[in-house]
Amino acid sequence: MAAANGAGRILAGGTDLLVQMRAGVVAPGAIVDVKRIAEMTTIVEELGGFRIGAAVSAAVIGEHERLAQAWPGVVEAVNLIGSKQVQGRASAGGNLCNASPAADSGPALVAAGAMLTIQGPKGRRDLPVEKLHAGPGRTTLEPGELIVSIVLPPRPARSGDAYLRLIPRTEMDIAVVGCGVSLAFEGDVCTSARVGLGAVAPTVLLVGDAASALIGSRLEPDAIARAAAACRAACRPIDDKRGTIAYRTKIAGVLLARATAIAAQRARSH
Amino acid sequence: MSAATDKIAFNVNGRDVAVAAAPQTRLADVLREELGLTGTKIGCNAGDCGACTIRLDGAQVCACLMPVAQAAGRRVETVEGLARDGRLSPLQQAFHAHGAAQCGICTPGMLMAAEDLLARDAAPDEAAVLDALGGVLCRCTGYRKIVDAVLSVAAGAQPAPVDVDGGVGARLAKVDALPKLTGAEAYGADAWPADALVLRAVRSPHAAARFTVGDLAPLHARFPGLVRVFSAADVPGPNAFGIYPVGKDQPVLADGEVRYRGEAVLALVGDGATIAAIRDEDVPVSWAPLDPILGAAAGVAPGARRLHARLEDNVLVRGRVARGDPDAAESAAAAVATGRFETSFVEHAYIEPEAGWARRVGDRVEIFVTTQTPYMDRDEVAHVMGLKPDQVRIIPSAVGGGFGGKLDLSVQPLIAIAAWHLKRPVRCVYTRPESMASSTKRHPATIAARFSADRDGHLLSAVFEGDFNTGAYASWGPTVANRVPVHATGPYAVPHVRATTRAIHTNEPPSGAFRGFGVPQAAVAHETLMDELAAGLGIDPLEFRHRNALRVGSVTATGQRLEASAGLQACLDALRPRWRDLRAAAEAFNKTGAGALRRGVGVACMWYGIGNTSMSNPSEMEIGVARDGRFTLFSGALDIGQGSNTIMTQIAAEALGVPASRIRLVTGDTDLTRDAGKTSASRQTFVSGNAARLAAEDLRAQLARLGNTDLAALPEISPGFVAIGRGRFDPPTTALDAEGQGVPYATYGFAAQLAAIEVDTGLGTIKVLRIVAAHDVGRAVNPQQVEGQIHGGIAQGLGLALMEEYVPGRTENLHDYLIPTIGDIPPIETLLIEDAEPLGPFGAKGIGEPALIPTAPAILNALHHATGVRVRRVPATPDRVHAALREAGVAP
Repeated sequence: MAAANGAGRILAGGTDLLVQMRAGVVAPGAIVDVKRIAEMTTIVEELGGFRIGAAVSAAVIGEHERLAQAWPGVVEAVNLIGSKQVQGRASAGGNLCNASPAADSGPALVAAGAMLTIQGPKGRRDLPVEKLHAGPGRTTLEPGELIVSIVLPPRPARSGDAYLRLIPRTEMDIAVVGCGVSLAFEGDVCTSARVGLGAVAPTVLLVGDAASALIGSRLEPDAIARAAAACRAACRPIDDKRGTIAYRTKIAGVLLARATAIAAQRARSH
Repeated sequence: MSAATDKIAFNVNGRDVAVAAAPQTRLADVLREELGLTGTKIGCNAGDCGACTIRLDGAQVCACLMPVAQAAGRRVETVEGLARDGRLSPLQQAFHAHGAAQCGICTPGMLMAAEDLLARDAAPDEAAVLDALGGVLCRCTGYRKIVDAVLSVAAGAQPAPVDVDGGVGARLAKVDALPKLTGAEAYGADAWPADALVLRAVRSPHAAARFTVGDLAPLHARFPGLVRVFSAADVPGPNAFGIYPVGKDQPVLADGEVRYRGEAVLALVGDGATIAAIRDEDVPVSWAPLDPILGAAAGVAPGARRLHARLEDNVLVRGRVARGDPDAAESAAAAVATGRFETSFVEHAYIEPEAGWARRVGDRVEIFVTTQTPYMDRDEVAHVMGLKPDQVRIIPSAVGGGFGGKLDLSVQPLIAIAAWHLKRPVRCVYTRPESMASSTKRHPATIAARFSADRDGHLLSAVFEGDFNTGAYASWGPTVANRVPVHATGPYAVPHVRATTRAIHTNEPPSGAFRGFGVPQAAVAHETLMDELAAGLGIDPLEFRHRNALRVGSVTATGQRLEASAGLQACLDALRPRWRDLRAAAEAFNKTGAGALRRGVGVACMWYGIGNTSMSNPSEMEIGVARDGRFTLFSGALDIGQGSNTIMTQIAAEALGVPASRIRLVTGDTDLTRDAGKTSASRQTFVSGNAARLAAEDLRAQLARLGNTDLAALPEISPGFVAIGRGRFDPPTTALDAEGQGVPYATYGFAAQLAAIEVDTGLGTIKVLRIVAAHDVGRAVNPQQVEGQIHGGIAQGLGLALMEEYVPGRTENLHDYLIPTIGDIPPIETLLIEDAEPLGPFGAKGIGEPALIPTAPAILNALHHATGVRVRRVPATPDRVHAALREAGVAP
């Protein structure tokens, strides 16, 4: 990668790269296939959490039972990347690196508090997932850097996550709005919360104000309403044929409320 | 990965192969171009359509997204590997028996996805089938018969028997199904001579611009494999084509000015690798953009620039049907309903992009191409090449979906001109974005309509004004403008009518023929207003329609008295029990207070004139018998998946009194068959079916005259045949006068559909739960195929209602342009009404277009039933529905 002077591109599943090459969007000087690097293609349980190789396919993530038990929202999100036959190829790492603000994996991983392990010419570093995107199609990775793995933290008792997105048809579509929520409780009181929003700004958003509205509450209607309002306030969407600015903004609040309810339900049974 | 081309070895269908290809070459291309396994189809090259689905070490993947290097050492299975020793696999058999393949272009992908599912889960439920097949798009079948086929295998049942002999009324299996199931079928991109050059068009990135082409010498110097660049100056005949003699306005290659984004300006011809390597920006075209005219209103705005010099107001054609005095009638009415409606550009989205190849043979040119209309193609190509029609031969490939979009020329004139000049075969396959940018669309319509009724619920008047955005060129614009006013009342008796239309030019894609020719747009208007009139008068919407339904003896808006086969009331009678049950169930659901969810049930009706409007549109057929007693039907009626090959065979078999399996087909080739007109206007069963019947009856009469003579002892009257029967049918119609009065069609199809939906008022999303479709088809020549047409039409109607909106430059692919997936199509119940048409073959009419027309308004009426909200602009996307709900105070 380093030798390619910034013109190199990583090939994992190829579901974005081959399409962009065809469309003339990118013309890489070198293509580096990472599908055979063990560290990047395996899921390991470590320190109570999970280390997911960046090139692990969505299908493999979906079939990992303990991962799906611990982080159902993350797994749901990854399993919305493309169709079944794309999921056999597409990876969460690739989905992140493509840097679409509408990528399904983004909001769920942001909500989960995922950390990225990044390898570059100067060695390794860790990066919170919400710091990866610089804008549509742009990341903060330095030339020659690549994501090796995605680390999900340990799951405390009474915690749960969820991801919901809105698309106009049943499947295989790009999110008009996506919302990931991860919650933990002590008794009935929400003790920690993270909210990720997709497709409503140039990058995936970590909405701290929404989390603040939920933390310390028992998810009373008022707390949910304040969190939804925080989500709406965070939105800086575009107007396009998939949805108007007003619509996306409104829906961000609706999805927050619904995803919170699912995450809370999961936390209670976790 | 290096660029070195060491051989890459893997296993395909049990055979070890090694290919010399660049490592990043797509596996789909390697399978097709290097290994000849063209059963793997390429519909989008972007992972959006799933046509290229194969199995890799058992798991389904898109071969178009797979670099061949990543297949090294692995096991690849394609559709060609499913049948063993000439025996279809259980899944292939199930697809055959259930009629799960129509055009067949998605069939390989569907089969491979389903094989993957069944290998992982021997007894999947419907949800698992929808999930596994969710990435494979089908535009023909409406998916339901595919689901049935997969579930039948999962249930472990013996494959349903396949009927190969049935006549009229039998569920005869598609006579041309086998190659579609095995991958052997040759579509436009699946056959080409090894020495063919490749052609790619350079297209306008601007909606309106003037342009000049610079010195091409540097381009040739940089790309030695570039053989020639063709421009407007190379078109040998008039550089203008179009359906109508008055509408030949579209250049093969633009001459200094482009009128829409996607218009072809140059054609690059060379070896495949070179043509793939040349980017548009490498080609020296200088553009001077003009302010584009976007939207029909801009086209007729005062002072708007003329798109075509001959039209001073950009109005291509006006249509008019007038009868009685609607203004006076309305002033005496008890109820009036008024509305303004808008529809969008809709893309045909056939999964097979335009493709074909051509070669010069002496002073003739032969074109192998995907098309709906071989004879019209022949005449149009001859026109632009300055040749006589018999100097052009069209050899239709299998057609991977058409829906009206393959009635216009695409690759035909480009490859013909290149092959003519170069005296070498030339091949062209459109990319998905190119197909979407350059091909015709459904006309966007803006409709203002007003209906009135008396106190008893009888319709009194209809006033309808429709503006249709016909885009940059004429194409089928006149057909839409003429057909819509005839149908503007909907299938109801309305004594006083004034219906006018305009087809207006803009700098947008040419709007052409698309399943229904404008009638689906009109149905959105009249069916919404029927509901509103019924509500205003306190009459049940279904009963209101029943009261006003056209019936035998009714007089239509054109003054035509219906003499027979007008079964709309029977359709509504058949729906009534479902209507009552489903409406009651929805209302009960809503009373339970199911959070944000509301359910509703809507009804809508339609009628549709079969065949061309007030125009001669004959079909001719021939059927020969050989000494061995086998029959050959020479049919110029193109089967684009809808099943005319099977229907013609059944009709001929019935008329001859022989099993269908005794009849062989020769189809479409303009050197071998007679002209059976276009596969459009729902005309093949009615018009060509009659020609097939008459040909078979003629042959039968000839054989009867021979008595008990041994066929083997007879002399051949032409090579291979001892007798040939001929048939010709042209539906009896009359011209329409200045007020649109006359007999535009010989017969009409009628239908009524119910849609049951669930609305999420928090999100504005609509889930269709169930469709019940009652169609008067005269006679169901093949009930399985009629059901297949209805399912597929409903899927397209659902797309029109909820998601499909083509925006030039923005939705030129199948992930920004949404068509329904398998999960979007609900269970569909079909109720076939057979009110025999005396003019039809064994009573049959048409079904292709009628299937689509009522679906969208039924869904919109269901939305109103569920929420009290009216959406008058389609598609009713979630944001539009949500905005309407908020405005009405239904959503927060």
